[in-house]
Amino acid sequence: MKDCERVQESLGGWLDGELSSTDSDWVRAHLGGCGDCREAQRRLEKITLVLHGALASEGRNIEFLPFWHAVERRIAEKRPWHVELRDWARGTFSAPRIAWAVPAAIAAAIVLFSVNSYFSSWRGSGARNNFTSVDSIDAYGQNVALLREDDTKTTLIWLYQNQEGENETTEEPPQSAPAF
Amino acid sequence: MKLLKNLPSRLLLFSLLSAVAAGVLGAAEKQPQSVQVSIGTILASNQSDEFDAKLKGLESQLRVLKYRSYRLLKNESQNVPWQGNKAFEIPGGRFLTVAPQEFRDNRISLRVRLTQGQKPLLDTTVRIPNRGNFLLGGPPHEGGALVLSISAATQ
Repeated sequence: MKDCERVQESLGGWLDGELSSTDSDWVRAHLGGCGDCREAQRRLEKITLVLHGALASEGRNIEFLPFWHAVERRIAEKRPWHVELRDWARGTFSAPRIAWAVPAAIAAAIVLFSVNSYFSSWRGSGARNNFTSVDSIDAYGQNVALLREDDTKTTLIWLYQNQEGENETTEEPPQSAPAF
Repeated sequence: MKLLKNLPSRLLLFSLLSAVAAGVLGAAEKQPQSVQVSIGTILASNQSDEFDAKLKGLESQLRVLKYRSYRLLKNESQNVPWQGNKAFEIPGGRFLTVAPQEFRDNRISLRVRLTQGQKPLLDTTVRIPNRGNFLLGGPPHEGGALVLSISAATQ
C-alpha cells in the first residue's frame, strides 16, 4: 500500500521524464503488476492530454504583448514613498519575522545589562567611582591624613605622629607631617 | 504556518531560557568566589633620586608624595575568601590584615588593619573599585616611610 502511494505521488514526474533511471524503472515495474496504479496512470495521462489540447488550441488566441507591456510599465513606474514604506513594513514585520523580535529584545537587554554591570565603574559619575572611598578610619591615637587626588584618581591614607609625640614601638624617627 | 503554530511555545521557551541566563549572570555579578588582594610595599625616601622601574604603573600616584626616591621592597598577592581574612607581612615587624566584606556596584568593601606586634596602628574600611587600588603610607622605615599599594580584584 505504501508503494502505491509513493508510485502515485511520483506519477507526474515519471510521465514528464523527471525521475532518475532507478526510480523510473521502479515505477514502471510497479505499474506492471498493480491495477490501481495503472488506473491512476491512465487518469493522469488523460488529464495531461486534455490540458495540452486546451493550451494548444487556446494559446494561439492569447495576446501576450499587452500583458508584457503592462509588466514593463509596472517595473518602470516609480511608486510613492508610502507604498514603498508599506511594502517594506509588510516584509519586515510579517509574523514569522517579528516572532523573533521579542526574544531578540530580551537577549539584547541581557547583553546590555551584563556589559553595564561589568563596566559600571565607567558609567555616569565614573570619575568619582574610580576613587577608593574610605568608610571609616581608626588610627588608635596617631594622626591620620586622607588625600584624594583627582588627576591620578589616588586615594592616600597617611599615618603620622606629631614631632613631640613619642614613638613607643620603634626606634625609627617619627614622621612629623604628611609628605604631600 | 508551522512556525506560527509553534510560536507561543517557542517564545515561552526562549523567554524562560533568557530569564535563567539573566539570573545566572546576575548571581555571578553579585557573588564572586574570592578576592585577589595584592600588596606592594614601597620604601619612599629622600636618600637618592632612584625610581624603581618596577613601580612604573604606580608612578603617577606616587608622584603625589614629595619623596625623591621610591623602591619596591616586596610584592605579595593572596586570594582571600569573602568574610575571611589574610595577613600580609610588612617590613618592620608589621602585619597588614585584609578582610573582604562585600561586593556591590563593582566595588569591593575591604577592612584593612595594620598592626605592629600586638599594637594596632590602623583599622580602616574602604571601598575599592574592582581592580583598583589605594595607598596607605606613613610608617617609618630605614630613614624613609613605607607606602603600601593595596589593590583588590574579584576572582
